[in-house]
Amino acid sequence: MSRVFAQARSGLVYAGLSLAAFVSIFPFFWMLVGTTNTAPDIIKGKITFGSALFDNITNLFAQVDMVQVFWNSTFLAIVGTVLTLAISSLAGYAFEMFPSKTRERVFAVLLLTLSIPFAAIMVPLFVMMAKLTLINTFTAILLPSIASVFIIFYFRQATKAFPHELRDAAKIDGLKEWQIFLYIYLPVMRSTYAAAIIIVFMANWNNYLWPLIVLQTNENKTLTLVVSSLASSYYPDYGVVMVATVLATLPTIIVFFLLQRRFVEGLTGSVK
Amino acid sequence: MNQMLIRARKSVFLATGISLLAMTSALAGEVTVWSWDPNFNGATMKEAAARYSASHPDMTINLVDFAKADLEQKLQAQLASGTTEGLPDIVLIEDYGAQKYLLSFPGAFEPLNGKIDYSGFAPYKVELATVDGNTYSMPFDSGVTGLFYRSDILAEAGYTAADLQDIDWDQFIEIAKVVKEKTGHPMLGIDLNDAGAVRILLQSMGAWYFTPDGQPAIAGDAKFKAALSTYAKLLQAKEIYKPVSGWTEYTGGFVSGEVASVFTGVWMTATIKAANMSGQWGVAPLPKMPGVEGATHASNLGGSSWYVLSSSAEKDEAVDFLAEVWGKDADFYQKILVDQGALGSYLAAREGEAYKASDAYFGGQAVWQSFSDWLAAVPAVNYGIFTNEVDAAVAAQLPALAEGGSVDDAIAAIDAQVRAQIQ
Repeated sequence: MSRVFAQARSGLVYAGLSLAAFVSIFPFFWMLVGTTNTAPDIIKGKITFGSALFDNITNLFAQVDMVQVFWNSTFLAIVGTVLTLAISSLAGYAFEMFPSKTRERVFAVLLLTLSIPFAAIMVPLFVMMAKLTLINTFTAILLPSIASVFIIFYFRQATKAFPHELRDAAKIDGLKEWQIFLYIYLPVMRSTYAAAIIIVFMANWNNYLWPLIVLQTNENKTLTLVVSSLASSYYPDYGVVMVATVLATLPTIIVFFLLQRRFVEGLTGSVK
Repeated sequence: MNQMLIRARKSVFLATGISLLAMTSALAGEVTVWSWDPNFNGATMKEAAARYSASHPDMTINLVDFAKADLEQKLQAQLASGTTEGLPDIVLIEDYGAQKYLLSFPGAFEPLNGKIDYSGFAPYKVELATVDGNTYSMPFDSGVTGLFYRSDILAEAGYTAADLQDIDWDQFIEIAKVVKEKTGHPMLGIDLNDAGAVRILLQSMGAWYFTPDGQPAIAGDAKFKAALSTYAKLLQAKEIYKPVSGWTEYTGGFVSGEVASVFTGVWMTATIKAANMSGQWGVAPLPKMPGVEGATHASNLGGSSWYVLSSSAEKDEAVDFLAEVWGKDADFYQKILVDQGALGSYLAAREGEAYKASDAYFGGQAVWQSFSDWLAAVPAVNYGIFTNEVDAAVAAQLPALAEGGSVDDAIAAIDAQVRAQIQ
């Protein structure tokens, strides 16, 4: 009796999981199908593979300088991720390792800034960048994001689990603080870094509003802006849009799968 | 080994310190244009620039594309910042938003009267870009409306083109019921999140959400009530339409051949022609509002115009370019009609070959001629500053109206929401 019950239960669980998997995977499947169909077929809701893949790719590359755009997005995402991790992990380390009343207050103020929506600081930030004559540069996109309060907070929380004995031992062995950070802290915290890389890379890769405001020429545009522009025609060529969307999705998927195992470790806060 | 590792890590940190590339700004003699839809707006602008540079070889055009919503957000943010750096020389603005930009940012746009002969353009297009006697726009594409219908499906139900001339919305609903009964095809696809139809009905009576001096014309306004009542009647005749959600499903309705008609702006022509149903479509005048004095068969949905920024370093060249090509080259308008299906607002273009040509896709009808005749008759209205806000308030009431809700209650709710938002 209880075996029947257990079987029925696991059957239900699998049915639920299958449904969830279908709901998660179907949009990706449809996106891939869409790359092979013409716009009228996509509008009609065709969900079988067609033969327009080559045309769609050709049209996309004829309309947009995809190589340039892809490079822009990649450059911004990689450099942005490296800079953000360097600056924000140092800050997180310092906030946890050298506690003082003043630093606690600074940290509290930093956390408060998380509640200010970007739209509220967008215009003043634009004025600032205009005064620095940085409009339409990648520097203007990277500078405001490299000190990320969220990532500082994340590293500070993760550092709480970092065994202080390791640091003490390293000190006794004569290592300077920056050496402790580079040779002890960094390797130990690699899961935390992996998770942060995924978070920051995705945020940079999908960054939309600020690049939109600050970038002014077609040559400097990022992939997100191009996809948005392609999709908003009076008569969008959805096949082309789907090809662009696949290209825009691939890097985040690759980064995620490469770092997937460490990502889970990093989020659950394990330190080895 | 360890030393190498140290060096490698050091170089990573050094690399993060590299200074990043600075990008070039606009060249002299180069006119920068912001617009959306490179295959439509962008392509017409390129054609115009090619014509102008034949006589002005120094002039080059730098076309930057954004999505429409993106462009609006970007323009708004940059104008609000008060810095003119990075602004283009010419920008495309949708007509509904024109007054908002002109009134919110006085001095940001260049008045063009005296440089362009506005008497040659559809009056409503000129009116919507006029503030205190100054007109700021180079009128571009029109959203003049018509009723696109499947002539084969209508014929199956026993209707000819003549039966769709000079009808009102009550008659349209009756026809739609017969079509559904005899052919099984829904006459329309309707998205209950979209208030575009209410805007079409209003402008066909020469009315809008606002009075000419910008006050809300909602509660107590006879024409607003008429428009909402008529649309509610249509929404409550559930058998005649297919409920859709979003643009793709809306256009998918008639592109797939399921939905028998659509009343919308002339720019839908390209989408309809992409469906490969040559000879199966026709265009009729927009049905009229029943029992309203001053009701017409002409209205508008969407459309946009070019504006020159006052801060532009290439201002004189930009204005001259617009005036020379967009302002008087009737041949140019033939070209963009044929190539992009763009129906400009320059009335003299009607006399050209392309406008008079008959179109086999529409059973040999001279559709462009019909649209440009209606174009001249579109009533001028004041789009005001808060069209988007009222639009959202109207759309919020449409589901209730479709379920048989009272029109008076809906008007009261819309009025309350609008007044709360704009004051």
